[in-house]
Amino acid sequence: MTGLASHAVVLLLVWGTVVAVDLVSVPQAMLSRPLVVGAVAGWLAGDVEAGLRVGVVLELFALDVLPIGAVRYPDYGPATVVATALAAGAPWELGLGLSVGLGLLVAVLGGWSLQLVRRLNAHAIQRRAAALAAGESRAIRTLQYGGLLRDAARGLGLTALGLLAGWALSRWLVLDRQTAVGLTLVAVGAGLSAVAGGAVRSAGRGARLKWLVAGAVAGIVLAVLR
Amino acid sequence: MNGGWRALLRLLAVQGTWNYERMLGVGMGYAAEPLLEDLKTVDPVRHGEAVVRSAEFFNCNPNLAGLALGATVRAEYEAVPGAQIARLRTALCSPLGALGDELFWAGLVPALAGLALAAIALGAGWWAVAGLLLGYNLVRFGTAVWALRTGYDAGMRVGSAISASWVPSAVAWIGPVAGAAVGLAIPLVAGWYLRGIGWAGGLGSLAVALVGASVSRWFGPSLTSVRFALLAMALLLLFRWVGL
Repeated sequence: MTGLASHAVVLLLVWGTVVAVDLVSVPQAMLSRPLVVGAVAGWLAGDVEAGLRVGVVLELFALDVLPIGAVRYPDYGPATVVATALAAGAPWELGLGLSVGLGLLVAVLGGWSLQLVRRLNAHAIQRRAAALAAGESRAIRTLQYGGLLRDAARGLGLTALGLLAGWALSRWLVLDRQTAVGLTLVAVGAGLSAVAGGAVRSAGRGARLKWLVAGAVAGIVLAVLR
Repeated sequence: MNGGWRALLRLLAVQGTWNYERMLGVGMGYAAEPLLEDLKTVDPVRHGEAVVRSAEFFNCNPNLAGLALGATVRAEYEAVPGAQIARLRTALCSPLGALGDELFWAGLVPALAGLALAAIALGAGWWAVAGLLLGYNLVRFGTAVWALRTGYDAGMRVGSAISASWVPSAVAWIGPVAGAAVGLAIPLVAGWYLRGIGWAGGLGSLAVALVGASVSRWFGPSLTSVRFALLAMALLLLFRWVGL
């Protein structure tokens, strides 16, 4: 990661901000799915393979999340940008585990930061309560643009902090091969347990469970045939 | 319906001011503004009241928010009493939340993400990513246009319009599709990673997956999948540090 060009870092910061805003605020076009974030971040960092490998593992974790209502959930967008930047340029078996670990930490931090932005939005609304009660359209627009700006600032700050942590790890943390591969095995295994646990929970005991099992059998057959 | 396209674009940011007090309320008010413009010339007093109501508490799945927006704006133009419009908004929160969450967050998103994961494991690369984005956004934008039009056409009878629409049946079949897609993806993704690591490593990774699934089931929400992963990584680093 220490080898990333400065323009690549700037583009990663912009991409991290865009995907952070996409998660909740605008446009919710699924740009923030780790799979999408990883592929684009990998391309920006010059290593699409690393982006896809990181994106797929974090997507396994993201599939365990049901973003309903006021629930607190990790923000995997900037996390995937950071993890991909850390993994770029290294053989994926060695770089994946550590970068996914950092990505998960950034994702949790992202979830907290989202709560903070929601509280700040509530404070802003309280401050303009009189204007809202008077039916001033301008107050609504100001609140809306303020909320979007806060979320963008959150995304930018989160991505910058994560990239800084990634840079520090790549500069000062030296892992031997066994440990690096071990972390990768743990990351992949934990990701698989996350997606399987989430899928079984969502399936309940109805038709969806039968289709889940049918899909898994088809997947096993395809995986063996390949 | 004047201002429909502007309202539609603004609905993309309906969660832009999401908060614990009014939830989507301010975003709904922002989206309603272009639709309510004509009311300003017809009845300025009513317009002011409508703007106040449009930004009050509201919550539902953002992709179906257009139904509530269209219905309430129509009701404002039809001079339905304000208290009745407020009741309609409140009544729509739960059904639009439940239907939208089932349709999108628990259905379409895992279905498309599962298919994209499987496709990447089979070597599709960028095509899988493009398919996920295109598939989701086609359905999402199509739903948004339909929702705003249906809500506006139905007005106060929006509940019946939703019951008679394609949404309840789509909710019934998207769940099994999502289950099958995620089920298909799991072994393919496992194979994609573990082929590059070798059998011994693969077994180790599958052991982690089994332990993770078991402990998450036992400890429930206190040990989420992310916490389990971080804990397992920390333990591995600790064991390696002490020389195990």
